[in-house]
Amino acid sequence: MNRSYKELNAVVAIAARDVVRFARTPRYLIESFIYPLVFMGLLGGSLAQNLGGGANFSLSQFMLYGVVVMMLYQSNMGSVISLLMERDNNFTQVLFVAPISRYAIIIGKIIGGTITSLFTLLGVFAVALLMQIPFALSDVGNVLLLAPVICIAGGALGILFIGIINDAQAANQSGAILVFTQVFLAGLLFPVSQSSGILSVLSHLMPMTYLGDLMRNLVFAGHPDYDEIVLYSPAVDLAVTIGVTVMCIVVGTVLFVRSERNR
Amino acid sequence: MTPIIQVEHLIKRYRKTEQPAVDDISFNVEAGEFFAFLGPNGAGKTTTISILTTTLAPTSGQVMIAEHDLNHQAHEIRRKIGIIFQKPSLDLELTAEENIRLHVCVQGLYTYTPFYRLMPAAYRHRIEELASIVNLGGDLFQPLKTFSGGMQRKLEIIRSLMHNPTILFLDEPTAGLDAESRASLWQYLLEVQHSKQTTIFLTTHYIEEAEVADHVCIINHGKITLHATPYQLKQRLLDRYVLVDAADHEQLKAELTSRGITFSTNGSGFKIPYTGPTPQDVIARLETPLSVLEIYEPSLEEAYVHLLNEGAAQ
Repeated sequence: MNRSYKELNAVVAIAARDVVRFARTPRYLIESFIYPLVFMGLLGGSLAQNLGGGANFSLSQFMLYGVVVMMLYQSNMGSVISLLMERDNNFTQVLFVAPISRYAIIIGKIIGGTITSLFTLLGVFAVALLMQIPFALSDVGNVLLLAPVICIAGGALGILFIGIINDAQAANQSGAILVFTQVFLAGLLFPVSQSSGILSVLSHLMPMTYLGDLMRNLVFAGHPDYDEIVLYSPAVDLAVTIGVTVMCIVVGTVLFVRSERNR
Repeated sequence: MTPIIQVEHLIKRYRKTEQPAVDDISFNVEAGEFFAFLGPNGAGKTTTISILTTTLAPTSGQVMIAEHDLNHQAHEIRRKIGIIFQKPSLDLELTAEENIRLHVCVQGLYTYTPFYRLMPAAYRHRIEELASIVNLGGDLFQPLKTFSGGMQRKLEIIRSLMHNPTILFLDEPTAGLDAESRASLWQYLLEVQHSKQTTIFLTTHYIEEAEVADHVCIINHGKITLHATPYQLKQRLLDRYVLVDAADHEQLKAELTSRGITFSTNGSGFKIPYTGPTPQDVIARLETPLSVLEIYEPSLEEAYVHLLNEGAAQ
């Protein structure tokens, strides 16, 4: 086995472990349906009924793809943050003494998280069907196309997080706060094109803004209200997303490895 | 021959602490040696082993393992070492075999497949061989959640040996094992050491496990207080003596005096210290019929406790 093959093999093994764990834990599967139900059924339904009248497009449909982005992003971020919990119960030591690069460990976690996150999409679209939110099969295809990008971006922010925050509980709590802050500022559940002042600045600083916008660029292409729904061109969204993601992975991995070794 | 582990002036100071956990220690371990690293809780054993196994960066000092510099060639070092950690480091959501499979795949020994039966025959033979040695053969495919602490320990032992490491680091490996399992494990580890010339680096609370070590290194408060063979350690630290007495107490006393044998008296008889490998020379010189003959050979544990008490008194 040459070095590259060994690294790839390790990535596959680490990712497969997360998939096996997911499949054996009924709680994860149940959560895949509960979260969309809460966000789309309760929060989304209420927003659509009370605020949706002002929009020229279906707010439920808008939210459907926002929830997809949020769930994939959050799920993968959590998957990477779980490295800290695994460190606390000593499991990560096994990985850290293996002759593989730290990037292989991190990428394995991200890919494992990405695959398991895709299961959560089943829940989102099942709830969409229940709520009679219209979507085409091509929309599902677009979502699947973009899902790896969203997952990697979420995982990348998770890496930066665990590089900076060394405590599992604190990282989990802060991660959840950051995700929900982004959900609102990035306009995943309702449009933020009318935001102004500091909220507008913050909105443009959130990585999730560009992910949500990229998703809407894909699924609302050709829609009569496309210009009202999207903020930037897909090229801008993609460039910002790739830039932030690469920066998070590199800086986060360096910080995480350093914090683990330089206690 | 170059030592397989060379540690020079190693210092580790954790963040926000003034006292170093490891304070300027130096020692060598020869290839194929059984090296025991002893010390009380908090002495610096686990910190040292964490540095040697590349999971913790030293504050300063030089460490060479298998001719690789720890600070620059950690990757090469990881390929040559096996570790049993002090605390269990297994995934409880997986089966025992899945834990091992993950390990061999991240070690780069075998290509990952999602099913055991698709793994290469060499892997299946190796895991079955090791599992039978530690009596885990029938439990390999059970979820780890159902394993007792002892069974989990056995599994970690299998995992550490799967890739035939050049150096095996054992951080209190038998903690939680029953006496029978400990005995069979040590029998196997020593066989491995002899047949494959594996270097064993052990930290343990069971001092008797270090009796068979080639060298013992004692660390306390981050400093090495003694580095010797178990025999030298016992000889250096504690008196070895023969306790003798006779029905004719006075005659024996006169004989000891006339022959110039150094002795002291205690309630049970005459205490005669000896320095040779056995007390045979002392006993052979006595003609008075003996009614009491006891040979006092200190255990490593007694020597160790003595050393720690000495350190505490200072």
